[in-house]
Amino acid sequence: MKTRERTTGNIIELEEVSKKYQLGEVCVTAVDNISLGIAPGEFVVVLGPSGSGKTTLLNLIGALDTASSGDICMDGKYITRMNRAERSRYRRETVSFVFQSFNLFPGLTALENVQFGVESAERKPNGGTAKEMLSRVGLEHRLHHFPHQLSGGEQQRVAIARALATGNPILLADEPTGELDFKTGIQILELLHEQSHSGRTVLIVTHNREIARVADRVVELSSGHIVRDGVPENHIAAIADLSW
Amino acid sequence: MRGWLLWLRWSWSDLRRRWLQVVAIALIVALGTGIYSGLVSTSPWRQESNDASYDLLNMYDLRLSLTQGSYLDGAALLDAFTHVEHADWITAVEPRLILPTLVDASTDAQAIITPGRLIGTDLAGTLPHVNDVYITAGRGLDSADVGEPVAVLEHKFAAYYGLPPEGDLLLSGDRMLHYVGTGLSPEYFIVFTDEGGMMAEANFAVVFVSLETAQALGERPGQINDVLLTLTADADREVLQAELEAAVQGVADVGLSFMLPQDDQAYTMLYEDIEGDELFWRWMAYLFLAGAVFGAFSLATRLVEAQRREIGIQMALGVPPIRIAIRPLLVALQIAVLGVVFGVITGLLIGDAFGVVLQEMMPLPVFLKPFQPRTFLEGAALGIILPLLATVIPVVRALRVEPVDAIKTGHLVAKGGGLAPALTRRSGASRVLTQMPLRNLLCAPRRTLLTVLGIAAAITLLVLILGMLDSFDATLDQARAELYQASPQRMVVQLNFFYPENSPVISSISQLPEIGTADPALQLGGYLMHEGKTVETLLDMVSMESPLWRPSLQRGTYPGEQPGVLISEIAARELGVQPGDTITLRHPQRTGLLSYGWIESEVEVSGIHPLPLRFQTYMDLQQADLMGLAGWANTLQVAPASGVTQDEVKQALFGQFGVASVQPISAIIRVFEDLIGEFVDMFAVMQAAAVFLAVLIAYNSTSISLDERQREMATLFAFGVQVRTALRVSIVENLLMSLVGTVLGCGLGILFLVFMMKGVFAEVTPDISITIAPHLVTFGLALLVGVLVAALTPTLNLRKLLRMDIPATLRVME
Repeated sequence: MKTRERTTGNIIELEEVSKKYQLGEVCVTAVDNISLGIAPGEFVVVLGPSGSGKTTLLNLIGALDTASSGDICMDGKYITRMNRAERSRYRRETVSFVFQSFNLFPGLTALENVQFGVESAERKPNGGTAKEMLSRVGLEHRLHHFPHQLSGGEQQRVAIARALATGNPILLADEPTGELDFKTGIQILELLHEQSHSGRTVLIVTHNREIARVADRVVELSSGHIVRDGVPENHIAAIADLSW
Repeated sequence: MRGWLLWLRWSWSDLRRRWLQVVAIALIVALGTGIYSGLVSTSPWRQESNDASYDLLNMYDLRLSLTQGSYLDGAALLDAFTHVEHADWITAVEPRLILPTLVDASTDAQAIITPGRLIGTDLAGTLPHVNDVYITAGRGLDSADVGEPVAVLEHKFAAYYGLPPEGDLLLSGDRMLHYVGTGLSPEYFIVFTDEGGMMAEANFAVVFVSLETAQALGERPGQINDVLLTLTADADREVLQAELEAAVQGVADVGLSFMLPQDDQAYTMLYEDIEGDELFWRWMAYLFLAGAVFGAFSLATRLVEAQRREIGIQMALGVPPIRIAIRPLLVALQIAVLGVVFGVITGLLIGDAFGVVLQEMMPLPVFLKPFQPRTFLEGAALGIILPLLATVIPVVRALRVEPVDAIKTGHLVAKGGGLAPALTRRSGASRVLTQMPLRNLLCAPRRTLLTVLGIAAAITLLVLILGMLDSFDATLDQARAELYQASPQRMVVQLNFFYPENSPVISSISQLPEIGTADPALQLGGYLMHEGKTVETLLDMVSMESPLWRPSLQRGTYPGEQPGVLISEIAARELGVQPGDTITLRHPQRTGLLSYGWIESEVEVSGIHPLPLRFQTYMDLQQADLMGLAGWANTLQVAPASGVTQDEVKQALFGQFGVASVQPISAIIRVFEDLIGEFVDMFAVMQAAAVFLAVLIAYNSTSISLDERQREMATLFAFGVQVRTALRVSIVENLLMSLVGTVLGCGLGILFLVFMMKGVFAEVTPDISITIAPHLVTFGLALLVGVLVAALTPTLNLRKLLRMDIPATLRVME
């Protein structure tokens, strides 16, 4: 019998993880027998075309979804063996999300959205208060603005500040630049990249190969399988060198 | 055709996605249309039932009554009738002898002694009898009963006291009769007394016997005093009346009067009530329909908003607006059709329940409940058209949006902060999750407003229906309190004539050992007049110094030295007078020993009494000289002696010379209860529908609102917020909306209550002034339904939350 905890050097550990969906009479395997380990502080980009299973992988790691088989061990704990309440707690204390369409609360100001991140983690953030978080993403002048009063890039920065405000060690971002123009996308990427320098593990899911050029490590998926896992193909590029 | 099928399938798929709310809306429409169809159907039922009942019992076309106390030889009178010029216009003649009497129908369990009427009809005459008796239990009278002490008892009296279909009766003069059945007769479909008492079955017993039996009991052999006639369709009533009057005068010089069916109080009331009641019930049905339409509008708006992007895509693809509108309109049509189908069932059920109430309230020999296709078609048309109209508004709005705006996704569609900015500077130090419910509501003011209005509509109906029941109760309580005061045992003894207060008749009553106190009083008919307006009145002249009972004052003072009256609030309003004003009182005045004439006197409106009956007026007995009746009485207010029951007083007064009737004050209240009983019983049927409707609307409004917050819920879950916390946010959010909705609904409910009671009901039943007094329990129930149901709706969605596909919900494109 497996224990509920294990100790490895990795903060994220996937062992033969599969996720299958039943779509009518068809069984779709979104993630097929994937094993993967990610060390603390890594800046990882999961790359793949649409339907390759990258978002499903992110959802499994973030405990938003449950695996059909295999084990996922996060920060020494098997989330695949957790019940609903334990998964909630795990999300509160271990991972933070940045979504493609931001998912900010429209009734709360930028500051309050970030404050929500502080409160949801139920502990003082490592980095400081909600106001400090917004300063770190360059939005100290937009504290009391509502999401609809902010540009797309500003909204995504608030979403990142909200994620950082939790103080959780793992940051999961699903196509964080997907809805943004190039210039804003670069700014967001810089922000995320900075996080890995401060010891946070950052996992970005994208179909944009340019973004993969700045990653410490690129995991490429196709049809639910890992087809490549390693450093970027040529060399790790500087963010300033990117273009799309 | 294929294109249409696509739209139909597409709209059907929209409908299935929200099936629970769709069913709820369909049920709301069903209640609206069903109540409309059910309520309005009762009018033709009543009309047809009245017609059929009067036809069955051969209602007279012309009635001839001799002046009170006059009798003629029956055979001579009928013979004279056969010789009038237009005798061929007469198709049937029913000679009758009608005698006032006291009836003792006491059983082992209760003393039942009331005034009544003995009606002798010619059993040997040609059938069918005019104004025949429809036997409801036991048997009818036949030729074997001619001259026998055998009778049929009027059905309503028997039913009121729960008397068996056969038993014994004791009439004035210790005459024993055996009744063999109970029955209904046209003149008593609604029981009126000689004194004008309405629905007076508790206080008035009609006994049908053979003409010979009545003549024997009244010691009037061969004599009659009343003739009923049916006429041919071409008969000229005025010509015939003149001929008949001449024929009567040819027999003897007696006074007589003629009556047409329209002069019969029961006949008139049965038909006139239909129109008034229909007006009232139509208003009620419209209010229910309005609630239903609002529910449909609310859902349709949300359905269309949910399709905003799809509508934009269709616009971008060049689909004509009219075709784009088909899909949401088809959804509305499907809801409406479903609602109408449910509505027909609801209408039949409600109609049936109302039919039972009507039959109990006004039993008729024939009660027809034919299906009313026209009314149901009207209901169905309303049920279909109104939800469709409700959908048109949001559809038109959606079609006005530029396609480029409609197809935007993600943050580009970010909604405005609504009214949320108003709170930003006041957020203080409270937790974000604590602030979130209020922020959410303010952030989407239109959505919040729709939900609040939905709940308010439900609560409005609930407060209206229950408030009406409460108001009827309060009015009855007010009447009870006034009539009982400190003497709930008080009884009213009607004398058969005016007697001097010191006459042996009154002395013998006062001195009975069963009587504790006996205060002489006068009861007269009259008219209150002021600036061209007239109110018919019943003038009770009682001693304002009486320790037994005197009217209370709502406003003003008791009459002083000068003639003054206490009138009802409703009469004061109608006449436009206040205490201190002078009005004209038209009243009888004694002009000789037994002769009376009408005169007009200027009297002051001294005060307003609290009895909510328009016609009731009080005057101090000391002013009786105005009527030439100082020192006279035709009524006594009595209190039983200590230890004596009301039944014992009745027994003691039975057969006492000069006594016309004896009624405990509670019997008068019973009449009052019967007057508004129809509405109370009908509302008892409707209150369940109102509660159900309120729960449905409240559930629906909040449930839709919750559906629209799914994405925010998913975001909360993504950040590890537990289900119970998210549920708490939802509950608080709904609680705030439902509180506002309930308060608004209570306010609107009271406004509609005032409109229905002071506007519609006052027009239908002008004699009664209803005190608008919704009970605290009503507001408690409104709070329970509005707040609790609405607030707890999220818990019904708990399963949905627990099974939420968080990633899929987070990805939802708006």
